[in-house]
Amino acid sequence: MNAGLVRPEPAAAGLRQAARDLLLVARQLYYEQISFWRNPVGAVFSVGFSVVFLVLLAAAGGTTKVASLGGIRAIQYYVPSFCAYGVMSMCFNTIAIVLVVRRETRLLKRLRLSPLPTWVIFVATVLHALVISLVEVAVLLVIGRLAFDVQLPKDPIALVLALVVGVACFTALGVAVSTAIPNQESAGPIVSVMFFVLLFVSGLWYPLPPRSLMASVSDWFPVRHMITAVFAPFDQHPGVAPIRWGDLLVMAIWGSAGALVAVRRFRWEPRRR
Amino acid sequence: MSVSGLSKRYGTVQAVDDVSFEVAHGEVFALLGPNGAGKTTTVELLEGFGRPDAGRIEVLGFDPAARTTSRQLRERLGIVLQELSVEPFLTVRQVLQRNAGYYRSPRPVAEVIELIGLADKADTRVKRLSGGQLRRLDLGVGVVGRPQLLFLDEPTTGFDPSARRDFWALVRSLGAEGTTVLLTTHYMEEAEALADRVAVMKSGRIVAQGLPTSLAGRDLAEARIRFRLPPGTAPATLPLQLSSLDGDVCEIRTSTEITVLRLLTTWSAERNVDISGLTVDRLTLEDVYLTLTGGRPGTPSQTEADR
Repeated sequence: MNAGLVRPEPAAAGLRQAARDLLLVARQLYYEQISFWRNPVGAVFSVGFSVVFLVLLAAAGGTTKVASLGGIRAIQYYVPSFCAYGVMSMCFNTIAIVLVVRRETRLLKRLRLSPLPTWVIFVATVLHALVISLVEVAVLLVIGRLAFDVQLPKDPIALVLALVVGVACFTALGVAVSTAIPNQESAGPIVSVMFFVLLFVSGLWYPLPPRSLMASVSDWFPVRHMITAVFAPFDQHPGVAPIRWGDLLVMAIWGSAGALVAVRRFRWEPRRR
Repeated sequence: MSVSGLSKRYGTVQAVDDVSFEVAHGEVFALLGPNGAGKTTTVELLEGFGRPDAGRIEVLGFDPAARTTSRQLRERLGIVLQELSVEPFLTVRQVLQRNAGYYRSPRPVAEVIELIGLADKADTRVKRLSGGQLRRLDLGVGVVGRPQLLFLDEPTTGFDPSARRDFWALVRSLGAEGTTVLLTTHYMEEAEALADRVAVMKSGRIVAQGLPTSLAGRDLAEARIRFRLPPGTAPATLPLQLSSLDGDVCEIRTSTEITVLRLLTTWSAERNVDISGLTVDRLTLEDVYLTLTGGRPGTPSQTEADR
C-alpha cells in the first residue's frame, strides 16, 4: 500500500521521543489516580474492603493462637494475608472490571485512536495498580502495627519483591480475564465469583494446613502462592526464608500465561457491534 | 484524503463495497446515508481502526492501517465517535489537559473550553454534564490536538435545534481555520448547513456525490407550487392544468414558476377569489436523499418519472 509515503521519524529524534513518552506515562498515571480515588466504588471496594475485613476478623478472633503456624496469633497471619488480598483485588478484580467497562463504553476505542502509544497505556495501567496496592499495604501495616501490635516484616525487601511480582502477575491475569467477559453487566459477578472461590480454597481467612486437600488444589493457582509469599517476610520463626522463590516462580508462570492471553485476545471495541 | 475501491466485509455483510471519493484540504465533506449504510465503517477504516479487505486509502499522505506511521497520523487527526465516551470522574479541564498532552502542539486548554462554550463548567466532573455538554466536550477532545483533519461521526444526534445550531457554528469556525472535516450524518439540514460536498451511501455503496445544492440534478428539477382549491371552484375553471389534486390541495410542477404564479394571481384578482395555503418549493436535499436511498415511495422524482 502507501506506507512509504511518509517515513518514520529519524533515529536522532528517538531519545527526545522516549523522554516525552516517559512523561506521558507519568501524566497518564496521574489522571488514572485522580479517576480512581474519585470513584467511590473503586476506592471503597478495593482499599476500604481489605481494612474492614481485617478489623472484623481481628475483632472476631485475632488473638487465637494458630497451631499450624507455630502458635502465632491469628492477626499476625491476617495482616499479610489481607495485604495479599488488597493487591489481588486491585490488580485482578478492579483492573478486569474497569477494562470491561471502558471497552464497552468505547473509552478504549477512543484511547486507541489517540496518538498515545499502546505500551504507554499498559505501563501506566500496571503502575497505577502498583501504586494503589502499595497504598493499601501501607494502610494495613499501619493499622496492624498500631491497633493490633503486629510485628512488621523482618525483611522489607522480601515483602516488596513479593508485592511487585504479585502486582505484575495479577494485573496480567486481570487483563486476560477482561478479554473473556462479554459485557459490563456480567463483569462484576464473573470476576467476583472466580476470585472469591480461589480466595476461599487458598486460605485467605485461615492458614491452610500444608498437604491438606485444599492446599494441594490451591497450589495449582496463583492466589495461595501470593498469600504465602507475602506472609513469609512476616514469619518471625528462625530459619524461615523470607523470600519464597517457588511461590514467585508460580506467579511468574501464571503472569506470563496471562500476559500472553492478554496480548493475543485484547479488544479495543465493544463485543456487541 | 483519497479513497478508491474501498471494501470491507463483516461476516456475510458487505459493509463497504467499492467506495471511492476524495476530500480536498480545508473542505467539509459529508457522508449521508441511512443506518447501516456503511458510513461508520468507512470512517473507521479512514481512522485506521481495522484493515480494508480491498482498496487504497490515503489520509494526509499516510496509509491509516500502517503501524509504523500510525502515531504520526494520529497526532494530526481529531476524532469524534458516534457514541459519547469520556471518563466520568475527571473534570472538563482535566480531560482536556490530559488529552492535550498526547499531542505535540495542542491548542491551549482554556481556548478549547471557550470554543466549546463550557467555561462555566470547566471544573465540573464529566458525570454531572448534560448530554449536549458532553457532546461539546467530546468535540473539544477531538480538536484539542489542533488536528488537520477532523472526523465527526453523527455528531449532533439527539441535540435540540438550538444546540445543533451552536454546534454547526463551532464546526464552521473550525472549517474557517482550514481544518478539513469529514462528517457523517443523517440530518439533511446539517449536511446542507456545513458541507461543501456530500456523498450519499446505501448498502455500502456511494449512490451519488456532488454539491449539496445540485446533488442528483436537484437544481435542475421543476419547482412545485401548491395551494388549496378555493371552495366552490371546479378544477377545470382554473387557468392552469394541475399536475395533481389531493383532496383540495392542488399541485403544479413547472420550470416557469413565475409565469404560473402570475397567471394564478391575476385569475384570483379578477374573480375576487382568495387562494389560501400557497407554497412554492423545489426538491429539498431530503427529497433527493429519500429517492436515492429508497426511503419513501412516491417521492417527487419518481412521480415525475411516472408521468
